[in-house]
Amino acid sequence: MKIVVAYKWAPNPQDAEVAPDGSVDWSRAKGAVSEYDPVAFEAARQLADATGGEVVGLTVGAASVDSPLARKAALSRGLDRLVVVADDRLADADGTRLAAVLAAAVRSIGDVDLVLAGDSSVDVAEGQVPMTLAGQLGWLGMAAVSGVTPSADGVVVERDLPGGITTLALTGPAVLAVTTDAVVPRVPGMKDILGAAKKPVEVVPLDALEVPDVVAATTLSGSRPETGNRRGVIIDGADASSAAAELVAALRTARAL
Amino acid sequence: MTASTQDAGEPEVDFDVVVVGSGPAGSVAAYRLAQAGLSVVLIERGEAPGSKNLSGGVLYGRVLDEVFPGFADEAPVERRITRHVTTFLTPDSSVGIDYAGRALAEPVNAVTVLRARFDPWLAGKAEEAGVFLMPGVRVDSLLTETGPDGATRVVGVQAGDDQLRARVVVAADGVNSFLARSIGLRRKEPTNHMAVGVKAVVKLPRGVIEDRFGVTGDEGAAHAIVGDCTLGIGGGGFLYTNTESLSLGVVLRLDDLVRSGRTAIEVFEHYSQHPGLAHYLRDGEIVEYGSHLVAEGGLAMVGEVATGGLVVVGEAAGLTINSGLTVRGMDLAIGSAIAASDAVAEAVAAGDVSAAGLAGYRRRLDASFVMQDMRTYAKAPAFLERTGMYGAYGELAASIFEGVFTLDGTPRKHLTKVAWEAFRRSPVRARQLVSDGWAGVKAL
Ligand SMILES: Cc1cc2nc3c(=O)[nH]c(=O)nc-3n(C[C@H](O)[C@H](O)[C@H](O)COP(=O)(O)OP(=O)(O)OC[C@H]3O[C@@H](n4cnc5c(N)ncnc54)[C@H](O)[C@@H]3O)c2cc1C
Repeated sequence: MKIVVAYKWAPNPQDAEVAPDGSVDWSRAKGAVSEYDPVAFEAARQLADATGGEVVGLTVGAASVDSPLARKAALSRGLDRLVVVADDRLADADGTRLAAVLAAAVRSIGDVDLVLAGDSSVDVAEGQVPMTLAGQLGWLGMAAVSGVTPSADGVVVERDLPGGITTLALTGPAVLAVTTDAVVPRVPGMKDILGAAKKPVEVVPLDALEVPDVVAATTLSGSRPETGNRRGVIIDGADASSAAAELVAALRTARAL
Repeated sequence: MTASTQDAGEPEVDFDVVVVGSGPAGSVAAYRLAQAGLSVVLIERGEAPGSKNLSGGVLYGRVLDEVFPGFADEAPVERRITRHVTTFLTPDSSVGIDYAGRALAEPVNAVTVLRARFDPWLAGKAEEAGVFLMPGVRVDSLLTETGPDGATRVVGVQAGDDQLRARVVVAADGVNSFLARSIGLRRKEPTNHMAVGVKAVVKLPRGVIEDRFGVTGDEGAAHAIVGDCTLGIGGGGFLYTNTESLSLGVVLRLDDLVRSGRTAIEVFEHYSQHPGLAHYLRDGEIVEYGSHLVAEGGLAMVGEVATGGLVVVGEAAGLTINSGLTVRGMDLAIGSAIAASDAVAEAVAAGDVSAAGLAGYRRRLDASFVMQDMRTYAKAPAFLERTGMYGAYGELAASIFEGVFTLDGTPRKHLTKVAWEAFRRSPVRARQLVSDGWAGVKAL
């Protein structure tokens, strides 16, 4: 079984600055594998080990997604090899365009049975790329996948949906977006990182791919999530026991207790 | 990834050298060892170099110029310090001595750096030289064995389930150095050897910084602040200019802080709201905040720096100087890395990495500005803290400050000697200096 894991080299939210007006400044943020993607690496590895398959990492984005650090960070998490499309023309690409480039790259890799991805990216968090990718490929797309196991002629997929857990059998190619708790991803050790440096990396030029034009959406307006009716009570914690008493009193007044 | 200098019959090693910690000490050591043709892995527990590091951020850079000539033009440095201001705070006043001298600018003497940007650059230099950079890994312990001479020696490191073997391990793991401690090279320091630093990065527009601090272009100012800023706790404050932010912090002696019953955060808040600093900080926005230990024991803290298969560099070896007005650690870290990498390369080439084989490190360190300065400041109680107030004697003060703040990589002279030499060249007579000086101070 040949499994591709589509992942994002995204700015690390730990380095982002949130201004008092709620806007986020990513300019000081360093890149990292998007937080929800290592689950997909791990699920793919386990599936490939059970079926004797191969796991290919795939990322597309600006030139900065391809650095020695970025390569090792991905390859140390259970991949067999890596395919990268790194081009500054993709610096501001939206999810639809990224999905189109990913689809072109999946086609160029060839003979892919399954694409796994995290359920959304940590910086954009639209959760739209995996399903658009499925559409571009003309494959089955499924979100909220909480488990994948091999079966005789394909895979068995478990989905965690609001109505309960559903188990499905798939035979054709599919794009699956896995939930953050589907499996526990490994923490790469020294040998994983040393091994990562020896694994093959294929850099595919953007111009070598046939990427169809995509429809662009125009954002008309935006608003920030309601932060609720915060009272902004600040309790002086200098004396722990009186602070606790004050907290209890405040919660009572607010009818939370 | 295997060693470049494998001899038959020797145990297999994964690398010639394992360097633990990618601060200034570790990255410079790794870079120079790779340049010497050795295979080197640089292990850092942070997700990226610099992510765990907090520093006031004035790098006395001439020693780094030896490693990377003209580094200030290429590295992500914030500003070149052309102005050193010493401010004495009382609860409602501040007295400043402003030393702006051309000697500070040419060649570049000191620069401000933000470690989140500077450390990745240094580690990147090492990586370009062939070092295998391994972030996101915390080394748990040293691997040891009994060597042919019967002595215990370090043969590698352990992290999680994995082990890496090397001829030499360089412990560049910073102030706490659990590695140096685990092998008995350092002890848990008494609290009077430690200080706690609290630091914030305060964002302000470039033009505002230049106006408030009297600098232009890529020039910058370093303010040392003493007096009321620490609520009577031994230590001092600093305020340094970056390109578009200020580094604001206090360094507090741990024993004194504990005795005072206050928290470091409390002192920092008092300091950051001090009226004497308000005009610099107004409308600034805190974008980063953290606290970190600093070694303060001076010479008394520097013990053995090498044993079989192991050398200890930078703050892990206790190499910091707090003169009362400046905290220096990064330049000493780099100086020790130069001494250690030369000695390690030599020992590996000679096939003797025993304690005796690595003894060249201590010899080189002793001969360098690093230990010479450590010795100077060991004997000198912060002379400047007591005499810096004689600011009325502008020329005299200026030459003292030039001597103290201009670090060109040559060993520092004893502070009293710096002052004395300046004094001898000055027309001011001794008695006049002492009496007028005090009168002046009281009158301020
Ligand atoms: C508030 C404050 C202000 C300061 N101001 C200045 C100043 O203005 N100028 C100056 O020169 N110095 C200053 N210093 C001192 C300076 O920061 C240090 O002396 C200097 O950083 C020491 O460099 P180093 O490379 O030895 O250690 P560090 O810079 O501390 O680097 C050690 C590295 O090792 C890593 N590490 C630790 N343990 C492990 C492990 N087990 N496994 C893997 N990695 C590990 C850490 O994550 C870190 O990256 C200041 C310090 C503080 C706290």
